[in-house]
Amino acid sequence: MEKIHTTRERETQSGGKNPPAVEVKNLTKIFSTGMRRDYVVAIDNLSLTVKAGEVYGLIGPNGSGKSTTMKVVLGLMAPSQGFARVFGLESGDIRAKNVTGFLPENPYFYKHLTGAETLRFYGKLCGMHGAALRDRIQELLELVSLQKAADRRLSGYSKGMLQRIGLAQALVQRPGLLVLDEPTAGVDPVGSREIRDLIFGLRNEGITVFLCSHLLEQVQEVCDRVGIIFEGRMRREGALDELISIADQTALTIQSASPALLEQIQNLVSHEKGASMVELGHPRTTLEDLFLKIVKGGKTSDE
Amino acid sequence: MFFRKIPRPLLILVILVGFGLLRGPFEDGLRRRFIEERLLLPPPGHTVMQQMGQSALMGTLGGLRSLVATFLVLKAFDQFSHKEWEDLRRTYIIITNLEPRDETHWVSVVWHLGINATASVEFNESIPPFERQRLFTEYATEAVRLGESGLKQIPDSVAIRKQLAEVYREKLKDYCAAARVYKEMLGLPGCPGYALRFYGYFLADCPGNERKAYDYLMNLYRQGEKQRLPTLLIKIKKLETALNIPFSKRIPDEQVSRRSKKGNFKTQSNPPGIRIP
Amino acid sequence: MSEAMKPGKVRLFTLERIWTIATSTVTQLIRMRTFYFLLSFAGLVIAIGNLNIPDTPAKELSMIKKVSFGTMDLFAWLFAIVSTALLIPRDIEDRTLYTILSKPVRRIEYLAGKLCGVLIVIGISLLVMFAVCGTMISFREAGFVKNERNTMVKDGRYSDQEIDQQIALISKHGMRPELGIAVAASFMKAAVIASVTIFLSTFASSSLFTIIISILIFLIGHAHAMASSFWLYHSGDNVVIRQLFKIVKILIPDFQLYSFSEGIVLAEPVVYSLVGQMVLVTIGYLTVFLLLSLLVFIDKEF
Repeated sequence: MEKIHTTRERETQSGGKNPPAVEVKNLTKIFSTGMRRDYVVAIDNLSLTVKAGEVYGLIGPNGSGKSTTMKVVLGLMAPSQGFARVFGLESGDIRAKNVTGFLPENPYFYKHLTGAETLRFYGKLCGMHGAALRDRIQELLELVSLQKAADRRLSGYSKGMLQRIGLAQALVQRPGLLVLDEPTAGVDPVGSREIRDLIFGLRNEGITVFLCSHLLEQVQEVCDRVGIIFEGRMRREGALDELISIADQTALTIQSASPALLEQIQNLVSHEKGASMVELGHPRTTLEDLFLKIVKGGKTSDE
Repeated sequence: MFFRKIPRPLLILVILVGFGLLRGPFEDGLRRRFIEERLLLPPPGHTVMQQMGQSALMGTLGGLRSLVATFLVLKAFDQFSHKEWEDLRRTYIIITNLEPRDETHWVSVVWHLGINATASVEFNESIPPFERQRLFTEYATEAVRLGESGLKQIPDSVAIRKQLAEVYREKLKDYCAAARVYKEMLGLPGCPGYALRFYGYFLADCPGNERKAYDYLMNLYRQGEKQRLPTLLIKIKKLETALNIPFSKRIPDEQVSRRSKKGNFKTQSNPPGIRIP
Repeated sequence: MSEAMKPGKVRLFTLERIWTIATSTVTQLIRMRTFYFLLSFAGLVIAIGNLNIPDTPAKELSMIKKVSFGTMDLFAWLFAIVSTALLIPRDIEDRTLYTILSKPVRRIEYLAGKLCGVLIVIGISLLVMFAVCGTMISFREAGFVKNERNTMVKDGRYSDQEIDQQIALISKHGMRPELGIAVAASFMKAAVIASVTIFLSTFASSSLFTIIISILIFLIGHAHAMASSFWLYHSGDNVVIRQLFKIVKILIPDFQLYSFSEGIVLAEPVVYSLVGQMVLVTIGYLTVFLLLSLLVFIDKEF
């Protein structure tokens, strides 16, 4: 753990020497609609920075501008005003695309290709070939546990398998920046946990992750920094802990506390000027943790 | 960056028009050369395009001239089977306009109208005799007219001439025209050997040309046994009588009777090259 | 950071990426079972080849050739339009284009790759169709030559020279290597209409629209040389109609020029200098329409 922190600290502190992974400044995107010159402001003067090596979550409800922001960062759209840069390069620059991997929300791949062919296709588009590409394909198939389905066409893949092959293609060229669009949408809790663990692993390797999601609990688990976007504007942005911690409240979790001890603590609080006991009770686990505990427990007893 | 300031549709139009103006004269020149080299066909005639059905016209305009022509040939064959001579004539006018340089079409239309249609009406007792004769002459005349049109498109065609000559000699009994056609054939690539003799034979039957025919046939006679076929000998004999050739200069009678006895004589009403069903 | 993370290392334009997209397009079209139409073509050629219409061998061979090559030509350009019209709109609808363009792929590489993929499939199809036609024609030609020789020898009236002349007449309408140039003409025509279709598909709202407009452009491009003289004749050389035809001639490719293949099929001698010029014209069309496609596609947002 110490090593991870050190790596992250080193990379975030080196922002002065190395450009940020993603830099969006005063981004505005306007779409014109119909013949009457009506227009829609999808993004309004948005600014955000994703430091190299961190996991950044851009969250917001449907239609808030997350996808549009992401498309601008990927170079699929040009800004109406402002700019977006990836490692100091304009987002539309082909060199920026070479260091960016993208996992789309729904699997946007050729259904007529097999898993291995898909990775080979995208690998070749990134300039890889020969033994290096072959080895990389094997490595990725093992990483996403799709070795057995490598020769099956994507039309026969389940949603989870498509998500995994999507992640594999996003990583094929060992990008410095990974852009994930709703990575766990429609995926079961086991799959979600695997993706989350994968993201942690990537962060440990120094890869920057920029994800968009409206599944707040999952964002909370993986992100270092979060931006909340609503109606095309950034509303709040910062480190996750800073954003969600309630500054003037303190939580204590005590194992095997006796009633006498609890009463003592309550008395101390009541005597402290300005302090009050907000809640006293047993902490709750999450439904997801419970579900996983049951599933894994079930697997262990079968073995 | 200058190009980014120009509205995109305008830039596209400018490039399209510029390219069109540049390639126009080059393509016109190419078309002329292709037509000269007989690799491209000139457009069908105006009246022909009017006569074509919609699907044929669409096919022709879509670049499927040969395909349309081929399917019309099959249609014509069906018309031949049903003796629909008028329809067949109209179909072949379209076919020969679509593919004016395909000699097989010209040969076919001359054969259908000149030989088949005339034979069909000649012995059709359901038609009054005068009408029969009228139709007979009409079809035969139309056949030679089309044949002569075909020769304008394909001046060195032996096949069209063969078929024309057959109509002239068998149907119209125009031996002068038949002789002319056989003469035109001489020296053309693919000219059959018998054309040498046939020219002489029909020249002999063309009034006023007996002397010319006699000299010509005697030239052939002098070439040796190969040319001394029974018909040639008979023709020479007839000319000798008609021209009062002195007996000392006439060919021996025994040659004629010897050749006839050998049974080498066969009529030449169906020249080779066309299979008759 | 790993090696790949350094931005300066990617090549800005490569044929390899074009080839990758082209081969993927070929795979896509093959797995869409587009080659099944070749079966119907083979069936048609065999049927035509065995239609025994009482006629001269030369005429029968000529007919087999004309139907075969005409059908080949029809299949080639129709396939070019339909397959090309499906490619880009499908990628946009399925959003496959997002993942492709998020990789270091230039839009011109994508367009060129798609076009190359279609041309490869058309080329393979034409080669297969040519092999089928060639086999049928050669087979029938051999049969006709044998029968004709036997008939003429049996008849006894014909010299060796006359027999050879008759055989030469049949062979003239049979299988010749120059027919490969006719196939090349069909390929070039299909290539041009494919490039026009790609251009249309970059801004068309649907595949169906692209197909209809492409077919229309093809027919107009074929017809305007013929139709102009027809309509001018019947309109009394109307000025408006004359100008209209000039505009059409400028904007729309002249597909009728590629019909020089029909002359070759009719056994006319090939003039290779003219064929070379047609290759240059084709390259010109492909370059211009690819450029126009790029001008539309380069700023397209998805």
